[in-house]
Amino acid sequence: MIFFINSIMPKQKSGIEHAELKRLELFRANNTPAMFAIRDWDPSLHTNANNAGIKDEELVSMFDYFQEARFVPQKTVHMSDIEYGVLGAHADEEADKQRYLILSGSGQLVARVNYVTDEDKRVRSIEWFDGYNNLYRVDVYDARGFVSLSQWYTPDNKIGTETWRTPSGRVVLETYNRDDVKGKRQKSGWRLMDTDGQVYQFDTIDELTVHFLNRLSDDYWSEQTPNIFILDRGHVADWGLNVLKKPAYTVMHLHNAHTADAQNPDEPVLNNNYEYPLYAVDGYDAVVSATHKQTADVIKRFKPRARMFTIPVGVVPNRLLSAPRVPVSDREFGKMVVFARLAPEKHLDDLVRAIGIVHQQIPQVSLDMYGYADATDNYSARRAVQAVIKEYQLEDAVHLHDYTTEIDKVENNAMFYGLTSIMEGFNLAIMEAISHGLIGLTYDVNYGPNEIIEDGVNGNVVPYGDYKALAARMIAILQDKQLQQQYSTSAYDSAERYSEANVWQAWQALIDDADAGWSKKLAAYPLSTVEGD
Amino acid sequence: MYYFIGESIFTFNSGTEISQAKRARLFNDNGVPAKIVTRNYSRYLDRDRAALDVKQEELVNMYDFFQGTTAVPRQEQNLRLLKQIPKDTYHIVSHGPNYSTIELASRELARIDVLPATVGLVDKITYYDRFGNTTSRENYDWRGFKSSIDYFHPNGELAYQQFLNLAGEPVLEIAHMNINGKLSPTMWRLLNYKGHNFRFNTENQLFVFFLNELVAGDDAATLISDRRSLDAVVADVQHVQHRYAYLHELHTPDVTSIRGGRLYNFNRDLFVNRAADFDAVLVPTAKQAADIHADYPQLHVMTAPDTYVPKALQAKPVVNLRERQRHQLVYLGRLAKEKHVDELVHVLSLVRQTVPDATLELRGYYQSEELKQSLSDVISKAKLEDAVTIADYATGDKLAADYDAGAVFVQSSDSEGYGLGMFEALSHGLPVVTTNVPYGPAMQIQDGRNGFLLRPNDRQAFAARVSQLLQDDQLWQTMSSQAKASVQTHDEAKALAQWQHVLAGAATVKQ
Repeated sequence: MIFFINSIMPKQKSGIEHAELKRLELFRANNTPAMFAIRDWDPSLHTNANNAGIKDEELVSMFDYFQEARFVPQKTVHMSDIEYGVLGAHADEEADKQRYLILSGSGQLVARVNYVTDEDKRVRSIEWFDGYNNLYRVDVYDARGFVSLSQWYTPDNKIGTETWRTPSGRVVLETYNRDDVKGKRQKSGWRLMDTDGQVYQFDTIDELTVHFLNRLSDDYWSEQTPNIFILDRGHVADWGLNVLKKPAYTVMHLHNAHTADAQNPDEPVLNNNYEYPLYAVDGYDAVVSATHKQTADVIKRFKPRARMFTIPVGVVPNRLLSAPRVPVSDREFGKMVVFARLAPEKHLDDLVRAIGIVHQQIPQVSLDMYGYADATDNYSARRAVQAVIKEYQLEDAVHLHDYTTEIDKVENNAMFYGLTSIMEGFNLAIMEAISHGLIGLTYDVNYGPNEIIEDGVNGNVVPYGDYKALAARMIAILQDKQLQQQYSTSAYDSAERYSEANVWQAWQALIDDADAGWSKKLAAYPLSTVEGD
Repeated sequence: MYYFIGESIFTFNSGTEISQAKRARLFNDNGVPAKIVTRNYSRYLDRDRAALDVKQEELVNMYDFFQGTTAVPRQEQNLRLLKQIPKDTYHIVSHGPNYSTIELASRELARIDVLPATVGLVDKITYYDRFGNTTSRENYDWRGFKSSIDYFHPNGELAYQQFLNLAGEPVLEIAHMNINGKLSPTMWRLLNYKGHNFRFNTENQLFVFFLNELVAGDDAATLISDRRSLDAVVADVQHVQHRYAYLHELHTPDVTSIRGGRLYNFNRDLFVNRAADFDAVLVPTAKQAADIHADYPQLHVMTAPDTYVPKALQAKPVVNLRERQRHQLVYLGRLAKEKHVDELVHVLSLVRQTVPDATLELRGYYQSEELKQSLSDVISKAKLEDAVTIADYATGDKLAADYDAGAVFVQSSDSEGYGLGMFEALSHGLPVVTTNVPYGPAMQIQDGRNGFLLRPNDRQAFAARVSQLLQDDQLWQTMSSQAKASVQTHDEAKALAQWQHVLAGAATVKQ
């Protein structure tokens, strides 16, 4: 089995999750089974994963696995479905706090039931009170309708023990919150009642994660072909993959620049997320990066024994590659779009500056920005963008929109796609842009934009941070109808690099490498084990 | 069905449990179905009930009932054969007969305690976190299954308990939180019982619920409350045919002025608050019945036997004096303040002035640590360390051997509701020297025939009677025969008839 290892699969996804989802589609299309291995506990995981197109059988979360809850029919639990265990229980709603107070016939507060307003008031959690008004426990419901986590409170109103249960109510996993010698409260241990009834203790969730991966390794063991673990978020198992019990084919996937300063591949300090896995790189069988440029940089610097594969994290679907091309003349003149979170590392205020400069010369230009505002530093990125809009008086030319799914409609009507990020791991959006025939204008930013956009072919790559140059190129293109069409046509053409067939070929090479080395790995591993009584 | 309601059958029992157990034996052996019903959680209940000759089907405990484990047979569970310990991952390291540890790379992760008085059977597993805190504890039943899990607050105090069915699912949980700043059990929550959840603020509320469930469908349910702490509970149970309360002890602390004496507080439910809910109050002696009736004319008080001589013992000949330790005094019973066993030590000192090799065996369990200390002080002060033996609580043959080995049974209590030890001594042909306190002694002992009754606080006279019995073989022989004879008629048949008379009679009164 091929596992995509991540900690999360949230409703609002980042590039890593989008890349994984695209990969899943590709694997499905090529009849190669793969599944998500999700580490963190999330009561809405199945809702979010199903909505993202992941089927239950393509999903194994660590908590589900031990809670025996991989396949649970959806049931919506309402306040009235709960048994409070007292006579004459009645509810007082506190709508402003999205909860009900449950009182006994004699007026004693028995529970507070917290609900999810936009999901038919399904029960999210219940705070239970004992006969003496102490909050003694909080039960958190899985969105599928069973108590997943119980948090037991201490007399001083902190969480003491936390337990996870099967849908039938059996406690299978526990963690404890205790003070260390310095008085700092932290998780001090985990105890697992494994699915075979054996009891394990772990100091940290990472040790538990290794056990989980070992179980997967056992469950999907085959002497014909290795299990392939693709690690998409390093902190989940970068150490864990190096200490697995049984052999497997382990893959460390880079999703971002590997140095602290993405522009400088020789920068001594690495991106913290990749420091351990790159120093321990030979513990893995393979490393995947999304661009040839990053692959070359990693090889040059680390000379890994692990095999390096360049596999784009984006896939341009055949549907788009075969769609009718929209000539530039049918597009809105001077319209640039960008799909990105309004976040500091995206540096979108620079893009607005460039538009501001162009606008002074060609007033028809416009910029539509799609994406949620990042709350970091009190929405500093959005505030920076708004300040530039004001400075250049672009109120009519630059518009901020929420994230949209109507990408075809938006991109088939625009001319340019702009990018002024500080760093990138690949940037799916700019790949999608070229597949819609948009002319790319980007900083020379590692990694992705400066490879997806080929200077003078499907747009221009300008020096990093030089928004004036970017404006100059935009003006030049806007003034040259022939160049516009030439760049747009090349953009469509260049998207072929990311076709399903091409990206799959890259994955196939990795899988072939895994299979090719399997018999050697197996030979080195003592397979016979003696089962005790 | 008759239900004898108690707190528990303990490892060390008082007369209350012993009396209950004998009553259950009497009823069931004679075709009158009866069960002992207990409230407290005990993992050793199956062992302890066997020690009192109570059969598994004659006993139902509340926790067992909800856990679905009342009829589980014993299966010895060796700690090294616990399926839950992955032996390919951890070492089990033995630290002698009492405990082992579960270790990973020489680090202690957990401790497995051995069931007392067994070789390597699992009692409980205590788990530690990486800071060394105790985090949780799995408790095994004597019968070899995991029965409950305790979880702890960060300060090490008990946080909550979960009681499991055989599938390992929690069926009942108890939270421990603060009541007025003091950690106490604050919530009993019954989970998925017949598909429903129920919660209770006290254990006795749960006990009422349980008893209602237990007797549901039994049209002839009769409850006998044997513990004053449970009278209100028994009174609350619905749909029962009859309710009785059996008083094993005195109702008042004022032993010298019983009429008009104060009532023990713990008797208030039975005598005052819930008196109307009971068909009758049962006591072992007619004298106590009369005293209570005089002070509480609204109560219906009847006499019912606290014990009897079992058939086997009835037929057993008295052990010859030559085979006994001729100068050994014995006392068997709780080592409690009101039993004044220290007085027996002083008596021994006096006896040894005439019988220098006289010895005393005290068999029973200490009611408190202070008492243990003070008794030990008294013994050492009297320099009688070599003459006084304090023997562990025992039942069955071991206990019988004591009665058969001694020469005189001595007792110096403040009061005796009946006096089970005295009765058993007599049934083994052991003459009794006892203070004449209410109510049992005067009823059981005819002074000068099967023993001696003495005024309290007359140590000289007490010691003189003991010395006499130790030295005069002829007297001993006569008294021993009369001792045995005096209880021979208190046999199963008579006890059963008395009970049937009482239960039938009380029923009549009620109607």
